[in-house]
Amino acid sequence: MDGFNPKAVFTIAKKEFMDNIRNRWIIVLTVIFVLLIIIFSYVAGGQTGGEDTFGGMQNTVFGLVGISSLLIPLIALILGFSTISGEAESGALYVVLSYPVRRIEVLLGKLLGLGSVIVVSVFLGFGLGGIAIAATVGPESWVGYIGFMLLSIFMGFIYLSLSIFISAYCKRRITSIGGVLLIFFWGMIYGTVLLAVYFATGYGMGDLMTGNIPDWFFNSVVFSPGDLHQTAVYRVFGMETIDSMGFSVTIPEFLSTNLIMVVHIIWFIVPLILAYYLFKKRDI
Amino acid sequence: MITKTVECPGCKAHISVEGDPGEKILISCPNCDLNGYYTIPGAKIETGSVRIEINNLTKTYKDVKAVNGASFNVHKGEIFGFLGPNGAGKTTTIKAMLGLINMNGGQVKINGLDITRDGVKIKEDLGFLPERVSFYENLTPVQTLNFFCELKGADKSIVPILLKDVGLEDASSRKVGTFSKGMVQLLGVAQALIGHPSIYILDEPMSGLDARWVKIIRDKIKMLNEQGATIMFSSHILSEVENLCDRVAIINKGKIIAEDTISNLSKYLHMKPRLEITIKGLNGKVPDVINNLDGLENIYVKGDSLFLTCVSSLRSKVVTTLEDAGFKIIDMRTFEPSLEDAFVKLIEGDT
Repeated sequence: MDGFNPKAVFTIAKKEFMDNIRNRWIIVLTVIFVLLIIIFSYVAGGQTGGEDTFGGMQNTVFGLVGISSLLIPLIALILGFSTISGEAESGALYVVLSYPVRRIEVLLGKLLGLGSVIVVSVFLGFGLGGIAIAATVGPESWVGYIGFMLLSIFMGFIYLSLSIFISAYCKRRITSIGGVLLIFFWGMIYGTVLLAVYFATGYGMGDLMTGNIPDWFFNSVVFSPGDLHQTAVYRVFGMETIDSMGFSVTIPEFLSTNLIMVVHIIWFIVPLILAYYLFKKRDI
Repeated sequence: MITKTVECPGCKAHISVEGDPGEKILISCPNCDLNGYYTIPGAKIETGSVRIEINNLTKTYKDVKAVNGASFNVHKGEIFGFLGPNGAGKTTTIKAMLGLINMNGGQVKINGLDITRDGVKIKEDLGFLPERVSFYENLTPVQTLNFFCELKGADKSIVPILLKDVGLEDASSRKVGTFSKGMVQLLGVAQALIGHPSIYILDEPMSGLDARWVKIIRDKIKMLNEQGATIMFSSHILSEVENLCDRVAIINKGKIIAEDTISNLSKYLHMKPRLEITIKGLNGKVPDVINNLDGLENIYVKGDSLFLTCVSSLRSKVVTTLEDAGFKIIDMRTFEPSLEDAFVKLIEGDT
C-alpha cells in the first residue's frame, strides 16, 4: 500500500484554481459580490452618521451578512457541483485518475483549489468593502470585520464541501445541479420555515416582538449553515441582542461561539467524509 | 513467433511472413520473384515477460455482466490489439485495468503489480489515452500538459516538444475549450507520452482524426514500439489493428472469444485465401471449368476479374485448369484472410 502524497494535492489544487478563477460565472458573481459589498458599505457607513464602531453599525452588518449569505454559498455551489460528476461525465477525471494519484489526493486538491477561489472572492469583496467602510467610519472594530471575513470564508468552505458531496453522490452533472439548487433554496427558505413552525406551535407576533422565543427556535440554526453563519457573525460583532424593525431578539447563552464553531466544523467535515466514501467506491 | 502480411512493392501481392519481433527476414515474392528484406515490427519478446496479465476479470452492472471472466496477457514489446463490437466490454476492461472501476472478480497485474494494491506505482510507468478524452476548458494546452507532468513527476521541459510532435505548437496559447474534437484527441496523445512510460493503453487512439493525423499517430505507435514500449490499443478500424498489431484479443458480450496472432486466428478459423484472377475477354461470365472444380467457394465475376476462395494447394490447379481450357490469364492476386474476415466470423459464430 502506497502513502499519501501532499505534492499531488497541491498540483490538483493549483490546476483547479487556475481553471476556475477564469470561470465566467465565478467572475460575474465575484464582481456582483464586490460591487454590492462596496456600495452597501459606503451607503450604510454614511447612514450611521460617522459612528466610530461596527457595533454601532447594526444595519451595515445586517446588510453585509445578507449579501455574503446569498452570494458566497452561490459561488461555492457553482464551483463544486460538477467537480466529480461533471468531470466523470466529460472524461477529464478518467485521464487524471490514470496518473499516479490517489482519490483522496484528488478530493483534497479540489477542495483546496476551489476553496482558494472562494478566498480570493471574499478577500476582494471584503477588502474593497473594508476600504469603503474605513473611508466613512474609520478603521475601528477591524477585529470584528476580519472575524466576519474569516467566517464568510468558512461558510464558503461548508457550502463547497456540501457541493462536492452532491457531485460525488450524483452520477450526472444535470442531477448535481438539482442537488445544489435544493441546498441553496433550503438556505433561502429555512428562516421562513422556522417562523411558520413558530406560529404553528402557538406563538404570535407579539411573542416575537417581545423576544418570547423558545430554545428550539435558536437550536434549530444548526440545521442551516447560512443561519449558523449569521448567528456567528452577530456574536463576533458582540450583537447578542438585535433590535430591528420593532423586534428584539437576544441570542441565548447556550448558543455560544464555541458551540457555533463546533457545528460549523461538523457541517464542513461530515459532507467531505461522505464525499470521499462515495468517490472512493464510484466507478469512473 | 509473429505472422505479418506484407505487400510486394512490385506486383502488390500479399505475402505472409513469420518471425520474431525485430527479426530481419529475406522475402521472395512467389508471383514476381522480387526479393527484399522485411523486419518484423516490435522489440524482441523475452520469454515469460508478461507485462499485462488479466485473469478472470468480471464486472457486473446491476444484472448485466459487462465483463464476464475475461483473461488475456500482453507481452513485453508487443503491440496488442483489443477488439470487439460496440458494447462488448472493451472500455470496461480498460477501466478495470486502470483501477477506475471496482471489479466483481478477477485480477489485473501490470508489470507484476496488482492494480488494486499498487495502482499508484503502476501508473508511474503507464501512458493512457481514453476513447472520450476531455480536458479543462479554461487551461491552455501548455498549462494542461504542465499539470500532467507535475502529477507524474516528469520534466516539464518536454511540453513544447510534445506539442510540436502532435502538431499543436501553434495553438499552445489558446484555451482548450476552443479546440476541435481532433485537437483535443491530439492533446490526449501528447499527455499519454508524458514521462516516457514503458506501457501504453490506448483506447481508440485514431478516433475522430483525419487521415493525416491517423498516419502521424500510427507512426508514433510504431516508433514507441521500436523503442521497446509495450502497447495495447483498442480500435474499430480493423485495418489499423491489422497493420500495427502483433497479436489481438477479441471480446464479445464480455468474454474473450479469441487471443492470437491474426494469421493464427485465420488458420484456427479455417479461413481460406481469396484469389482474384484477371482473364482476357472474360466479360462477366464464370467459366464452366471453374464451376466443375471441387473445393472452390464464393465464385463470382466482375468484368474480366474472377474471384474465388480456396485452400492454397488448389491455386495451381485453378490456374492450370483455366489455361488448359484456353483462357489467357493476365494477372493473379492472392488476398490472405484479413482481420476483418476473422473478426466477423468470430463474432457471428459467437452470436
